Amino acid sequence: MIRICVRDLHKRYRSRDGEVAALAGVDLEVAEGEFVTIVGPSGCGKSTLLYILGGFIGADSGTVAVDGEPVAGPGVDRGVVFQEYALFPWLTVAQNIRYGLEMTGVPRAERSPIVERLIATIGLEGFEHRFPRELSGGMKQRVAIARTLAYDPKILLLDEPFGALDALTRETMQDELLRLWQATRKTVVMVTHDVNEAVYLSERVLVMSQRPGRIVQQFPIAIERSGEREQTILTERFNTVRNEVWLAVRRQAGKGDASERPSAGTS
Amino acid sequence: MSDPPDGLERPSERAGPWRRGIRRSLPVAILLLVWQLAVGSDLIDRTFLPPVDAVVAALWEMARSGEIWLNLAVSIWRAFTGLAIGSLLGVAIGLAMATSRRADGFFGPLVAITYSLPKSSLVPLFILWFGIGDVTDILTVVLACLLPVIVSTYHGVQAVPALLVWSARAMGTPRHTVLWRVLLPGALLSILTGVRIALGFCFVLTISAEMIAAKTGIGKLIFLYGENGAYAHMFAGLTAVVIVAYGADRALLAAMRHLLRWHDSVHAAHAHAR
Repeated sequence: MIRICVRDLHKRYRSRDGEVAALAGVDLEVAEGEFVTIVGPSGCGKSTLLYILGGFIGADSGTVAVDGEPVAGPGVDRGVVFQEYALFPWLTVAQNIRYGLEMTGVPRAERSPIVERLIATIGLEGFEHRFPRELSGGMKQRVAIARTLAYDPKILLLDEPFGALDALTRETMQDELLRLWQATRKTVVMVTHDVNEAVYLSERVLVMSQRPGRIVQQFPIAIERSGEREQTILTERFNTVRNEVWLAVRRQAGKGDASERPSAGTS
Repeated sequence: MSDPPDGLERPSERAGPWRRGIRRSLPVAILLLVWQLAVGSDLIDRTFLPPVDAVVAALWEMARSGEIWLNLAVSIWRAFTGLAIGSLLGVAIGLAMATSRRADGFFGPLVAITYSLPKSSLVPLFILWFGIGDVTDILTVVLACLLPVIVSTYHGVQAVPALLVWSARAMGTPRHTVLWRVLLPGALLSILTGVRIALGFCFVLTISAEMIAAKTGIGKLIFLYGENGAYAHMFAGLTAVVIVAYGADRALLAAMRHLLRWHDSVHAAHAHAR
């Protein structure tokens, strides 16, 4: 079943230097329960695409539909995790996670058990009453993911969710996300410039062109992910696919500003 | 909650509360000492400036007779009522201006032209309209408190990151609920800073309005004693206002620290808010 369907999406921005085309004819289909990642050079419009899916900004032309319904604005069927976390700094960890439950009308009595379970899941017991400014980047991102999971959206939209984290924390968070997705089988659309991350996590990687962005290539990632991180990363298969994707992104980046290179990592 | 290890706090804040208190009251003590010595040594004529001990004696006398309490209560009531009304209106107007182009177009020019107008200059007009008493006094205070709160609310709301609004909307927050669940808390530091400025204005304006448009109040008392040349009593009235205004400011500051304990800049605010 097709969960997200995007047809011939166009978007232009008005900037100081006149109009800039961000997206020029994006087509995309994401199946129910699929994990799709969009990679591309910086400024290729991949975040714009995600924000349109989120309903935060409108497209100039083309259609976006979720389960056949056109997207008209933000909705709780699509949970969004931003690179900068976007936690409410005036709410504690527990209050941030509870927020979506309040807004989506989850009965009062059911809220606390959900919040407690999620805090345990993300390993932040003892930090329930801390404010975001007292947390590390990795902890903040855990809270951001937890508060999105709290109200159980069908779709997760992840905008470079681990981009602001150090390498080690990023890997831990990737593993947590992978386990989470394997357990819940939510439909995930992630945007990143990290090719390793894209290949490690997703079932399908889409490569976007230099601005104005279009999806120019896609790679089904058929790798075994049941074991530990090393078992996946250190395989011939993973490296072959990773290199293919990396070359495809590099080719796109090379067409524009040569200083924009995708990062492939060193594993 | 731990202090950020950024060394932002000034040396005086690392010292204990006692040393801090002494350090802060030292300039006031020096001022009083110089004042007392200057008058005591006949450097300044007593008819122009009463000595400190005479002011203290006058304050004590007025406190015992009850004269000061009644007038102080009336003035505090006027100042705080004006502050409350002005702040609430200011937050509402500032919020409207920051979120609606139409409201901005309507209130923007009005705020711009009235911002630098001394509000006390309107008192004679208000006397004509509302006569002498509470309405005139409070209205003057409302107007004076309104503008700083409008401006600080407006800028505070505009500075709330769009990402916070987006994530609130994504989590199912209705558009109008975003106002009080996201924009107001996000702008709280700025709003309360505006209220703190307004708190200063509310006493200034209460006293100046009472001087010309009241039968009671500390302003009236100061005015009467000044007219009659009872300068020690006049200074006593002034002193009472200074004490109340200072106490109110400290109380608001303490409230701000608590309400904004989540804020990144709360420690920086400690350093500036003195």
